[in-house]
Amino acid sequence: MASLFANLTGPKKRQKTAGRERNSAHDGFLRHAGYRWLKIFVLICLVSIASYFWIDVQPRHNGGSWYGYTLGTIGALLILWLTMLGLRKRAMTAGSWSLKAWTSAHVYLGLSLIVIGTLHTGFQLGWNIHTLAYALMMIVIISGMFGIYLYATQPQKLSSNREEMTETQMIEALRSFDRQLHDAAQPLEPEHAALVQGSLEQDPFSGGFFKRITGKYPGCKTRYAIAELRRARTYAPRTDDNPTEKVEQLLERKEDTMWRLRKHLQIKAMLQVWLYIHVPMTFALIAALSAHIVSVFFYW
Amino acid sequence: MEHEAGKGGMSFIVRQIALKSDGSEIVRAENHVQDEILVGRSSENQIHLPDLAVNPVHASITRDDDGKVQVQSVSDLKFELNGRSVSKGTIDPARGGELRFGGHVIAVGKDAETSGIVCTVRRVEALSDSAEEKDQAKIYSLTGKLPSKRLSAWGFVILVLAACLAWPIYTWATYRGVEERPDKFHADTMWSSGKLSLAHQSLKDDCQACHVDAFVSVRDNACLTCHTEDAHEHAPTDRQLVSRGELKGFAKFRRNVAITFNKPPGRCVECHTEHEGAGAMQPTAQQFCAECHDGMDTRLTDTKLLNAADFGDSHPQFRPAVMTKPGGDNPPTRRISLDDNPTEDNGLKFPHNLHLSKTGGVAQMGRRLAGKYGFGASLECKDCHTPDNDNVRFQPVDMEKNCSMCHSLAFDEIGGTFRQLPHGKPDLVRADLRAYFRSTRPNRPINLGSRGNSNNPRRRPGDVNAARTASDYARAVRFRPTRAAQAIRAVFSRGGACYDCHGVTQPTSRSGLNYGIMPVSQTDRYMHKGWFSHKAHNDESCESCHVAATSGKASDLLLPGISTCRECHGGEASSSDVPSSCAMCHDYHADEGAPWLIRNQNKPKTISAPDKKAAPRGQTEKVARRQGGVRNDRSGG
Repeated sequence: MASLFANLTGPKKRQKTAGRERNSAHDGFLRHAGYRWLKIFVLICLVSIASYFWIDVQPRHNGGSWYGYTLGTIGALLILWLTMLGLRKRAMTAGSWSLKAWTSAHVYLGLSLIVIGTLHTGFQLGWNIHTLAYALMMIVIISGMFGIYLYATQPQKLSSNREEMTETQMIEALRSFDRQLHDAAQPLEPEHAALVQGSLEQDPFSGGFFKRITGKYPGCKTRYAIAELRRARTYAPRTDDNPTEKVEQLLERKEDTMWRLRKHLQIKAMLQVWLYIHVPMTFALIAALSAHIVSVFFYW
Repeated sequence: MEHEAGKGGMSFIVRQIALKSDGSEIVRAENHVQDEILVGRSSENQIHLPDLAVNPVHASITRDDDGKVQVQSVSDLKFELNGRSVSKGTIDPARGGELRFGGHVIAVGKDAETSGIVCTVRRVEALSDSAEEKDQAKIYSLTGKLPSKRLSAWGFVILVLAACLAWPIYTWATYRGVEERPDKFHADTMWSSGKLSLAHQSLKDDCQACHVDAFVSVRDNACLTCHTEDAHEHAPTDRQLVSRGELKGFAKFRRNVAITFNKPPGRCVECHTEHEGAGAMQPTAQQFCAECHDGMDTRLTDTKLLNAADFGDSHPQFRPAVMTKPGGDNPPTRRISLDDNPTEDNGLKFPHNLHLSKTGGVAQMGRRLAGKYGFGASLECKDCHTPDNDNVRFQPVDMEKNCSMCHSLAFDEIGGTFRQLPHGKPDLVRADLRAYFRSTRPNRPINLGSRGNSNNPRRRPGDVNAARTASDYARAVRFRPTRAAQAIRAVFSRGGACYDCHGVTQPTSRSGLNYGIMPVSQTDRYMHKGWFSHKAHNDESCESCHVAATSGKASDLLLPGISTCRECHGGEASSSDVPSSCAMCHDYHADEGAPWLIRNQNKPKTISAPDKKAAPRGQTEKVARRQGGVRNDRSGG
């Protein structure tokens, strides 16, 4: 386990050395406090699974036995507590109940819900509100796992892509290229000027979610302008001082910057997109959970 | 583009407005005294618009004789006049107008002092999109690219609560007190936690059939609405609670929690759990019975029931209901343990040993009649005992059907037809015998000559002999009817046809003939509290359980004891040939029929039970093996 997560979660824990405080500031939330919550997760799973087989529920395991109610209550309280991370994360603190500790617990207790929730069902699933709540819970957990994976892999890509450029610098670079292009394109023929104008007018942050997440922008006018100008130049007589050539070079440099920007946007989208499932589904889950609990007592 | 200045005195004042970085304006004005000025991207134009959306020479502006300003596109691109896209247009300078080329606006008006045309040029659009103001926190995130998390979260919450909570509650409220719901989708069925058992399939769309009141657990009267006949109490609830004993520890805690949550104990649904899949109700597990019946006499001290916990090692000897006096529709019975070697007087005399003997007169007679009745080398049980319709028990032995093959009641032959004494009707027997002797003559002596040949009597010589014979015969004829009394006495007395099998009551007076037959009753079922099916034991011979071959008296009770059963049957968890839970012979809601376990086994298996866990372990499989795979015909009801 340790080696599996080692390269995902930052530097390994330092060996204990005499006279030095162990510094865990750079430990990721997955390995917080020597995998404390991972251990608790494993313990919860073992206890749940063992008790499931040890306790004989007649006629068979189901959510309505005393054991089922126990697991269900634990699961429901866990879900509510896990949701509290949304409030808790707005206040960063240190210490043993630091935000990192809280996040670590959120991740591992959230994973343990797979076991607790599934055993609560007694593997009796159907087209009903109870299974809907279970399915939503699994969607939330799986989206969370996807989020962990992204948090473990994407930040590195993000930093290597931007090469120390800040987001402000990226947009300033584009503005600079646009100004230069505008000036350089003044002598161009109307149809070539229109190509450049197209590039200038296009919002570099345009494109819907799908373009963001894939990083593919088939309607990119800058790339189109480059291609068109290059083709025009191929058939035009060669002159020493062709303004098109300069424009073309500027467009290419702009496109480079655009590519980097779009990669940046793609990675940032990846880091955010799972939350667009995780958070709304959490609330859908809490609604379904409420309906599940009310329905059980309503038709008691 | 040369234009002569001063001609006609027309002048255009072009004012270019630029913005400084602090937002203040710089105005640069040029005066052009000429008829026509040109607008375009090229710097040679009088109005130079450094705008890539504008053609090098885009349009011309002239002033006509009326003082109106004419604007005309000189390229193939249009421009906007007062917001409309045109290639040509007129502006009254007194009223003013606005031209737009690409990202630039030219306001056309009249200079009040010189009455020249003023063109005020201003860039109104950033030269590129990126140059515009951007909210970095927003553009670098997915904000606006996807529905906001808050919005979709609330959307889902409302959707789920409406569809899965409000709608079902509305359905419940709509159908309160309605006898039967219409056949359509009902929203509260989405609350069902699983399929109903097979028996309750018809209720699957009618949640309120059982869940009558909101937040009130399913009560017994919901069950009893339909189960009017078959859900009688196992025992009075208070006695059940006493025999169950005080709950201890965790069980007590669970009971208290259940009561706190408004689930009173002892309801039907505690055992009859529902929504566990479309199987059949599982037979009661042994442990469930044993919870009360194991050591019950220590708790329920006045019980007549004996303790039982496991058929193999903790079950009392059978106590069949033995008939104490034959006769009547319901002869009195008493339950006597087989350990006390009970006997039963059924009013008959019948030595089983004599009839089952392989040698002797009975066997010999059987062999003689083998061709007619299919007997074997000696008589067997089946020759006299006929199973009932369900093969569970036996029909009562019937004289005409089962005895008369050998024990004939014929007394007369007329033209090849035998007349029989009527069985079971002593009065008719007497009447028949009297009628017989009244209507028949004694055999005519041969010396008087037979009836057909009276002219040729064979007689001894001498009239005296003839006269004596005649007078003897005459006396015999005269007294013939009185012979009936003798015959009646004989048939009811030792050696007579009735007396052989029946107890006979003597006449009330010495000379009387009103003999009676003691009442006969045959017990068809001895074990009323348990179930036994002969059909389920077809593979066994009769003798393996019933010791009939050595029984010399009809009063011998030939029932096997529990030890015989235990040769094959053990408790639910035993390693015997047939592990048997209580439910194999007993039912919680017992009636005269077979227990639920047996009935359930005999049902056609349309939907296989999802889980055999609750059935006594290995029981059904082993039974099936013992019966050579024939399982569905184990018994009837």
